[in-house]
Amino acid sequence: MADLPSDLVVAGVAPAADEAAVAKAGGWWRGRLGVTVPAVMVAFIFGLCFIWPIIGPVPPPTGGNILSSSLPAFSPGHFLGTDAVGNDEWSRLLYGGRASLEIALAVQAIGIVLGGLIGAIAGYLGGWRDATIMRVLDVFIAFPGLVLAVAIAQGLGPSELHTIWALSFFSVPASARISRAATLQLREQTFMTAARLSGTSFPRMLLGHIAPNILPQLLTYALLGIGIIMILEGALSFVGLGVPPPAPSWGNMIAQGQSTISANPRFVFLPSAALFITVVSFNLLGEGLRARWGSQ
Amino acid sequence: MSSTSAPLSAPLAARAGRARRLASSPTLSFIVRRLLAAIPVLLGVTFLSFVVMNSLPGDAAQELLGAQATPAEIHQLEIKLGLDKPFLTRYWDWLHQAVIGHLGHSLSSGQSVASILGSDLPVTFELVGFAFVISLALAVPLALVSARKPNGVADRLSMMFSMAGLSIAPYVLALVLVYVFAVKLNVLPAIGWVPPGQSVWQNIRYLILPAVSIGLGLLCFYTRLLRADLLEQMQGEDYVVTARAKGVRPWRVLTRHALRNSLFGLITVVALNLGTLLGFTVVIEDIFGIPGIGHELLQAIDNRDIPVIEGIVFVFAVIVVLCNLAADVLYSVLDPRIRYGRPTE
Amino acid sequence: MLELGGYAGAWPTGLDPATNVNGAADQDQMNSIFGQLFQLSTGGHVTPDLATSATPEKGGTTWRIALRPGLKFSDGTPLDAAAVVSNWKRDLANPCTCKPILPPVKSITAPDSTTVLLSMAAPDGAFQNQLLVANLNWIASPTAIKSMGEQAFKIKPVGAGPFTVVSDTLSNTLALKKNPNYWESGRPYLDSLTFKATADDESALEALQSGGAQAYDGMATPSLVSTYKSHFTTTEQPATSPYDIQLNTAAPPFNNKNARLAIYYATDAAIIDQKLFGNQFQVVQGFTAPGGLFYYPNVPGYPAYDINKAKSLVKSLGGLNVNFFTLASPVNQNFMEALQTLWKGAGINTSIHLYSLAGLIQQFDTKKWQAALQTAGAWDPAAGVGLGFRFLSQSPFSGVHDPKLDALILGGQAQVNPTARDQTYQKAAQYIAQNADGPFLFPLASWNVAVHGVQGPGLTTVIPSVVVNTAPLWQDVSFTQ
Repeated sequence: MADLPSDLVVAGVAPAADEAAVAKAGGWWRGRLGVTVPAVMVAFIFGLCFIWPIIGPVPPPTGGNILSSSLPAFSPGHFLGTDAVGNDEWSRLLYGGRASLEIALAVQAIGIVLGGLIGAIAGYLGGWRDATIMRVLDVFIAFPGLVLAVAIAQGLGPSELHTIWALSFFSVPASARISRAATLQLREQTFMTAARLSGTSFPRMLLGHIAPNILPQLLTYALLGIGIIMILEGALSFVGLGVPPPAPSWGNMIAQGQSTISANPRFVFLPSAALFITVVSFNLLGEGLRARWGSQ
Repeated sequence: MSSTSAPLSAPLAARAGRARRLASSPTLSFIVRRLLAAIPVLLGVTFLSFVVMNSLPGDAAQELLGAQATPAEIHQLEIKLGLDKPFLTRYWDWLHQAVIGHLGHSLSSGQSVASILGSDLPVTFELVGFAFVISLALAVPLALVSARKPNGVADRLSMMFSMAGLSIAPYVLALVLVYVFAVKLNVLPAIGWVPPGQSVWQNIRYLILPAVSIGLGLLCFYTRLLRADLLEQMQGEDYVVTARAKGVRPWRVLTRHALRNSLFGLITVVALNLGTLLGFTVVIEDIFGIPGIGHELLQAIDNRDIPVIEGIVFVFAVIVVLCNLAADVLYSVLDPRIRYGRPTE
Repeated sequence: MLELGGYAGAWPTGLDPATNVNGAADQDQMNSIFGQLFQLSTGGHVTPDLATSATPEKGGTTWRIALRPGLKFSDGTPLDAAAVVSNWKRDLANPCTCKPILPPVKSITAPDSTTVLLSMAAPDGAFQNQLLVANLNWIASPTAIKSMGEQAFKIKPVGAGPFTVVSDTLSNTLALKKNPNYWESGRPYLDSLTFKATADDESALEALQSGGAQAYDGMATPSLVSTYKSHFTTTEQPATSPYDIQLNTAAPPFNNKNARLAIYYATDAAIIDQKLFGNQFQVVQGFTAPGGLFYYPNVPGYPAYDINKAKSLVKSLGGLNVNFFTLASPVNQNFMEALQTLWKGAGINTSIHLYSLAGLIQQFDTKKWQAALQTAGAWDPAAGVGLGFRFLSQSPFSGVHDPKLDALILGGQAQVNPTARDQTYQKAAQYIAQNADGPFLFPLASWNVAVHGVQGPGLTTVIPSVVVNTAPLWQDVSFTQ
């Protein structure tokens, strides 16, 4: 996990090069449903993690009462039970998902904005400036991300925000590469040449012409990468980094639950299952969108 | 790929001719250019890791002496370890030693970094290699079966399986595998490592669970990649159309022609992932107690053992750079129509 | 025969007594390779091993150690008084936390081949007990150190213990085999012994369950003990180090005695013991737990739990906010969260921080830290990471800087007469309680686990832990299938 291959982020799910075949064979789950079903799943997960804790009767995920510790599932008021110090497990699952989703989204957003910008600039300018930018990105790609993550966690103190920074070192170079490649293709197109010849300014070219054209591609890749970032967040927790307990995230819940898995398997099973379902949903959604946008 | 069709007994003259062509070919100059471009990247990586480790609170002297040490004792040890020298001096010292192949000694155990790498790298390579072999060996038949009848039952099952496999976190998989195969069924060991020199059979037994934990994701990734590419080949490529027109049966076209072309592309992706995958093993090595490079890196970070961290980061970066280079070279000599998800450099 | 050491049992700096920082946590490995001058045996008695007696002279400023005659290291060279002198000098010259805290040492001499004389500038009545977790207890072959060099020696050390080193992968696997020249005939029972480091209790038990190991010491997760009790022989070892809440009396808010008292009154150790650990442990009021020396069940003047007093104190203080930190571990985290809830009941707001060792030390360095969850004490308060570490002015990790308390703590170590030591330590415990310097909770016991058929002292019988875990006497461990 120290260094996620940028290309694994890029190609988290295999390319949908077989659109024609799919169309011919009438693959129903790649069609409209291929987007709708995972989109509904993602929306449902977001609703549970972000909205339900506000409107529903959900106790706080930390600071539980020690007197009601280690309750089994289906106890009154705690339908998934409580953990060793009396925190409600259902609440921890929701808030944990919130933290994991926040991290994944923020990391990918930073990737799109920062990486997208860097890549587009490099691709548009070309020449030695392009080469320099790409070499700097290569440094980050070749650098074991774990070392950076540890440095950030230990130097600045572990926190959700610092986890986001640490993981952004994966997403920025990956997005930059995609953005650069897309910009290179775009540069040769007639409307770009026309705009250039008519003296459009560089920032305007970037935001007005390049950004809207490469955004769908960046977004799809970002969606496909969300699952991997969520998995990486947990990996950081396994080596003692990531979101610091007692605040929950799916990753740190799995890592913590692991240390007593034979006594209390549910503390590992619940967040693992939630993580799995969420990652599947994002992967399906990303793939569905790529299939749809790719075929247009 | 001319080499694949060249008979093994090719006359020497022909071989020499090919070598000459290669020497003057754009490929070789491309390789040289890429190698030169790698130098600043490696410098950047090593410098960055120096900066990063230097910015951390606590140092090796403190870690070595433990909590009770007095500031005077810590300072004394810092001088002995050379930690009192200015930052840039230390980096420069390290760098010109590294250039002549001296990676220094561990601050905590005193072992030479080269010997630490020498004992840890083979373990990680074996683990990663094993994972690659299993995943490739299974991905090819799975992809072929899928591509034979797109959207058939086999294809749907294999696509569902590979989507699930891609979405499961390796550490969760590891926990499940240990629980099922070690604790419940008692057929494989839960943690630990036996070097192949001691017992090949035991070595493989200890290797299986961690390798599968890493390999399942790869298997699923490769299966999907290969299937997609096979389908593309079967749809549009001229040689496929020609072969079919000549009456070659579709399965034969798939296995003989399309597969061969698609495999080159897959190998490119494998080369691209190889270096970076080494990092992926950190958590798995940690969970299974495998004395590989990831385990060493975690320990070195804990102990602020900068020479060891530097050594690992350096080797790691070299591998990544070489793998990227290999992928690019493969990519550039491939049929340009074969396109994989790799963004152009 | 395999044994799985806990996470703390890692040996990143090698196994040379002079430089192994983790020595106290590596007792299993060190004892197996080097043996011990004296060992703590079943029932908590110090018994001779390589040495036969230790006698204080001149009021405790000099100690006379008698060695077993005719001892040989596994390389064939003699383990005599000269070897001990050379070891001790080397140990004390190295800056390492693995050496005991002694009064200034004046001389170490060998009047004859089996006698060692240690002379100090001030009396130290606890010297023999201090040996137990310190590097002076392990004697390495000076010839081997010289011929191999220190670097190679720490990887493949040579001693006179029951086992010799076959191979050593630092902090991962240490393979040992029987020492044929071991002094005690018929020992060790085992032909070979391998130590493996594990990430945590869970993975160690999984290894035991899958046949990858036969014994594990230092198991500390109560919920796993109850899960695996029926599968293995689990033996609870008497704990000696109680948890305590360290308060920084030099900085706000705990430079105010009322704030410290509020913490005492708000802390219900019994309910934590009940809810987190199923009432398995003994709540204490002093720095030693029942398994150790100088244990006092009731300390006069100890401010016991009283939530109403805590509430009114917090009110009179105008509220109390506490930054509370500890070393990161699952048990510590649960402990901290439980305390946070309890204190909340008294109106105390607590923010929790879990640090790595480096982060922990950094906190102490700031001098502005407020409260920390720690363990204090040892089998003998003068030994190991004990009382002095947390309460002596000169310790960088002490929250208390009080010359009167210093005198009591140092006095308890200096006196030779056990009764006099006892009286002084009792006064120290009372002094801490009266000044509300920091509440004590209870010790977490650890369990030693063995598969059926494996038995031995400290593994399947009870020996108090010197610091945290009990190391079995491996030369006496046997395996009958």
